[in-house]
Amino acid sequence: MRRLGVRLRYFSRTALHGLRASPMTSAVAVATIGVTLLLVGAFVLLVSNMERLLDRFGEDILVSAYLEVGLPGEEQRALLERVESAPGVESVRLVTEEEAVQRFRQGSAGQASLLEGLDENPLPASLEITLVPESRSTEGVGILVAALDGLRGIDEFGYGTEWVEGYARAMALIRGIGVGIGAVLALATLLIVSNTIRLAVYARREEIEILRLVGAGRSFVSIPFLVEGFIQGTLGGVVAIALLYGFFRILLPGIEGGLEILLGFATPTFVGADGVLGLIGAGAALGTLGSGLALVEGSQR
Amino acid sequence: MRARGVDPAHPGAGALVRLFHVSKSYLAGSWALRDVSVELEKGEFAFLTGPSGAGKTTLMKLIFAAERPSEGQIIVLGRNVGRLGRSGVPALRRRIGVVFQDFKLLPRRTVEENVALALDVVGTPRRQARSMVFAMLKRVGLQHRRFHHPLSLSGGEQQRLAIARALVNEPEILLADEPTGNLDGELTLEIMDLLVSAATRGTAVFVATHDSALIERYGRRSVKLEDGRIVEDLPGIRELL
Repeated sequence: MRRLGVRLRYFSRTALHGLRASPMTSAVAVATIGVTLLLVGAFVLLVSNMERLLDRFGEDILVSAYLEVGLPGEEQRALLERVESAPGVESVRLVTEEEAVQRFRQGSAGQASLLEGLDENPLPASLEITLVPESRSTEGVGILVAALDGLRGIDEFGYGTEWVEGYARAMALIRGIGVGIGAVLALATLLIVSNTIRLAVYARREEIEILRLVGAGRSFVSIPFLVEGFIQGTLGGVVAIALLYGFFRILLPGIEGGLEILLGFATPTFVGADGVLGLIGAGAALGTLGSGLALVEGSQR
Repeated sequence: MRARGVDPAHPGAGALVRLFHVSKSYLAGSWALRDVSVELEKGEFAFLTGPSGAGKTTLMKLIFAAERPSEGQIIVLGRNVGRLGRSGVPALRRRIGVVFQDFKLLPRRTVEENVALALDVVGTPRRQARSMVFAMLKRVGLQHRRFHHPLSLSGGEQQRLAIARALVNEPEILLADEPTGNLDGELTLEIMDLLVSAATRGTAVFVATHDSALIERYGRRSVKLEDGRIVEDLPGIRELL
C-alpha cells in the first residue's frame, strides 16, 4: 500500500513534469478536447432543455371521455370511479353538462350566442383524465383509451397528442445527430491527443531509454504518459464547461425571448451536476484513451 | 576469467555472473564476442581491459540484458539472461548498477533527481530516498551541487553523478564502463576507492578501462579481451598471496 502511494506520487510528479516540459503541445491538446466537448456539451444542453419542454407539454396532455347524453348522475359517478382505477390515471374530474356550458360561454365570449335558442343543452358531460407523468405520451394515451374503449356510458374520447409526438420525434433526431457528431469529434480528439502524447514520448525517448536501463518496467514508463493524458483530458473538460457556461449566459436573453414568443414560456437551464461531471469525465476518458492509443501504437513499432 | 570449466547447471557458490561459451554477433560472419567464459563472484573486483572494439562494452551489455547472446549461456544473479521474459529484464536491472561511458544522465532533472531515479524505480519512499541520495552525493563529493542540472557540471562531476546513481541502490553487481576516463589523477583514485569499497561491501564489480597504470596500482584481477576473445585472465594480488 505504501509502495503504491510512492508510485502514485512518482507518476503524478513525472506527468506534471512532462506537461511543464512541453507547454505548447499540452495546451493544444487541452484546447482541442475543450472545443470538442464544448460542441458535445452544446448538444447535451439543447437536448436536456428540449426534454424539459417535452415534460412541460406532457403536463398539458389531457384525455376527455365524453359521456352519453342523458346519462344519470349515479352512472356518471360510477364511471368516474371505474376510470380512476384504469392504467396510467393520476386523477379524474367529472365535468357536468352545466359546467360544460358555463365553460363554453366563458371560453368563447363572442360566440356565446350560438347556444341561445336551443331548448336543450347540446354539450355532453365528460370525464377529464389526467395521466401519471410516465404515461403522458402517445403510447400512454393509447393504452388508456384501449382499456376504456367499449365501456358503457362513454360515447367518445378526445385528445390531441399528434404534435407532442412530432416534437418527440424531432428531439430524437437532434439527439441522434448529437450522438453522431459527438462520436466523430471524439474520434478526432482521440487521434489528436494520441499524436500529442506520441510527440511527448518521442521528445522524451532519451529519458525513457535511461529509465529502462536503470530497471524501469513497461508500466513504470507508460503510466506517467497515461496520467498526462488524463490531466489534459480533465482540463479540457473543465475548459469546455467554462466556455459552455459563458456562451449560455451570453446567449440566454436572446433564447429566452425567442422561446417566450414561440411557446409562451421559457426557462432554459444549464446542464445539471451530472452533466458537468459527465463532460469532465468524458474529457478525462478521451485524454487517457488517446494516450493509451499512442503507447500501444508505439510499443508495436 | 578464470578459464575454469563453467557448467551453467551447477553455478559455483557465490558466482553472481557466469558466462558460458558466449558469442555475440551483430552482423552475420562478424563476431563482437567469441566463445567467452567468465565468472564474477560476490564481492569480487575485476578489471576488463583491451583495446577499443575488443568487446568490453558488448560484454557489459550482455550482463545487464541490453543484448542477448547469439550463442552460449549467461547466468546473472541466478537468472538465464537469454531466456528472460518481458518483466524479467527490468527486475534483473534493478539489482545491477551500471556506469555508462556516456553517463546517460537526464539533462532536465537535477543532480538529486538523477540519482533518485534508481530509487524511484524500486519504489523507495521519498523521504528515505532523499536521505539515501544525500548520503550518496556526499560520498562522491557532489552534495553541494544537488540542485544543479547535469549540463552545468564538469565532465568529472557528471561521471561522479553517474557513479552515484549506479551505487545508490547498493546493487549486487556494478558494471562500470571507463568510469575514470574524464577524471584527473586525484579524482580517479577517489572514484576507484569508491568502487573498491562497493566490492568490500559484497558487490561484484566489473570495471572496463584502458588505464594500465590503474590496473597495476590496484593489483586486482584483470581480464583482457582482444577481437572478442579472452586472451588473458590474471588473478589479483590477493588471490596470489
